[in-house]
Amino acid sequence: MNQRRRVAVTGLGLISPFGGDLNDFFRRLLAGESAVSFLRTDDVPRPLAVPFVHCPFFDAEATLGRPLMGMMDRFTQLGTAAAFSAWEDAGFTRGQPPKERENWGVSWGTALGGVLAYEKGYRELWQNGRPRVAPLSVILGMNNAANAHISIQLGLGGVSMTHTVACASSSIAIGEAFRRVRSGEAPVMLTGGSESPQAYGVVRAWEALRILASGDELSAPHACRPFSTDRSGLVLGEGGAALVLEDWAHAQARGAKIYAEIVGYGATSDHSHLVRPEADGQRRAMQTALADGGLSIDEIDYVNAHGTATPEGDSVEVAALIEVFGALASRLPVSATKSMHGHQLGAAGAIEAIITVLSLQQQAIPPTAHLQEVEPACLGVDHVTSARRGLPLRAALSNSFAFGGSNAVLAFRAVAH
Amino acid sequence: MDSLALIREFLQNRLGVLPELVVAEARLTELGIDSLMMLELMFEFEDRFGITLAKGLKSPKTVGEMVVLMDRLRSEQS
Repeated sequence: MNQRRRVAVTGLGLISPFGGDLNDFFRRLLAGESAVSFLRTDDVPRPLAVPFVHCPFFDAEATLGRPLMGMMDRFTQLGTAAAFSAWEDAGFTRGQPPKERENWGVSWGTALGGVLAYEKGYRELWQNGRPRVAPLSVILGMNNAANAHISIQLGLGGVSMTHTVACASSSIAIGEAFRRVRSGEAPVMLTGGSESPQAYGVVRAWEALRILASGDELSAPHACRPFSTDRSGLVLGEGGAALVLEDWAHAQARGAKIYAEIVGYGATSDHSHLVRPEADGQRRAMQTALADGGLSIDEIDYVNAHGTATPEGDSVEVAALIEVFGALASRLPVSATKSMHGHQLGAAGAIEAIITVLSLQQQAIPPTAHLQEVEPACLGVDHVTSARRGLPLRAALSNSFAFGGSNAVLAFRAVAH
Repeated sequence: MDSLALIREFLQNRLGVLPELVVAEARLTELGIDSLMMLELMFEFEDRFGITLAKGLKSPKTVGEMVVLMDRLRSEQS
């Protein structure tokens, strides 16, 4: 148990806001295509009207079946569907005898959990004048609903847990899963995250913080502009993304395809302020991940930034990158893919981990879209503004920095082909 | 709407069960009614017919028993 195992990424699954498969998703990101559209609800008298990222092509009934779908809030539907997809991608079947899977586990991430179920309850009580809410509300709404359904559906008898750490939720979920595989506790962990933040009260709350990007039907697709002089904030989105992490020897023994190796994880707290990020806490998270993965700074050929396009966050992240990479920072390729897929809060880390893994596997870096002019405070790294292909990418980091000052960084290595 | 029609509609909407399978002798568990679904079904029943079911009510095992129970509660109500 004490000997460290190498950890392979053997399955990826994602509910794409573009509607296609994983390759289609990555191809569109390389092309700088935005999934952001304009959300306008029919709420009276004040509808929501914000740029948002939806998964309109996701057919929960076709993927999950009606009985299962009805037992799930949307974040669980998105998460379980992504998990199914990653599981199949890894070459595992559902419904096998679970004997050998008794210590395989699930480590999930979500910031808000089943908030839509509770909101539905409030609407029933206060808007529709009903005296009570549906009995399923509790099991739809609980934050651990997704991991529970995934464990049941895949027959996994090991740990089944959810991490709620705001925007770092699923990066921390992946990091904790990685540790369990590396230590030998679990030969396989299904990990990732899902989120459906389009609850009326939630969107209004984010608006009240004055950090949501403004936009209308026409301008919504380029509303999220990380690192740009004219950035105006983040764009919320729904989504689900899952990865299969597997003991390297286990993966090789069954001839599994290996996308990349996950080698390091660093988690820190700024321990200073709830919403004002600190470069020092982020620096420590990156350095911890590098040390954990036995990586030197000159081996990192790409960083998928947290980059949410808030005025404060972006420049602090660049400052942290400069502290970590020193003289190498100016040649360090960095991009913020939230410019295209938006910010899925508790699922963002998993989506970006998948993008980072695909970058290493396909040796191609997706850009920060809509970045015409870098804000002076964000200068100092090599901002990738259009796709770069055919590069020798050896290793990469994926950053997630959450409200509350929680930082999580994942480090991946490319597989030599 | 009679009690059987309500059970059929519920099972079709929520679980995709074909109405012709919902017959008196069919066991509720075999139609996909577990303890959670039973709570939902009772909730729906209370809503539709304006009845409040007693907490300690013994759960019926078959569609037929469910129909008898529902019919009895409705007749007591009216």
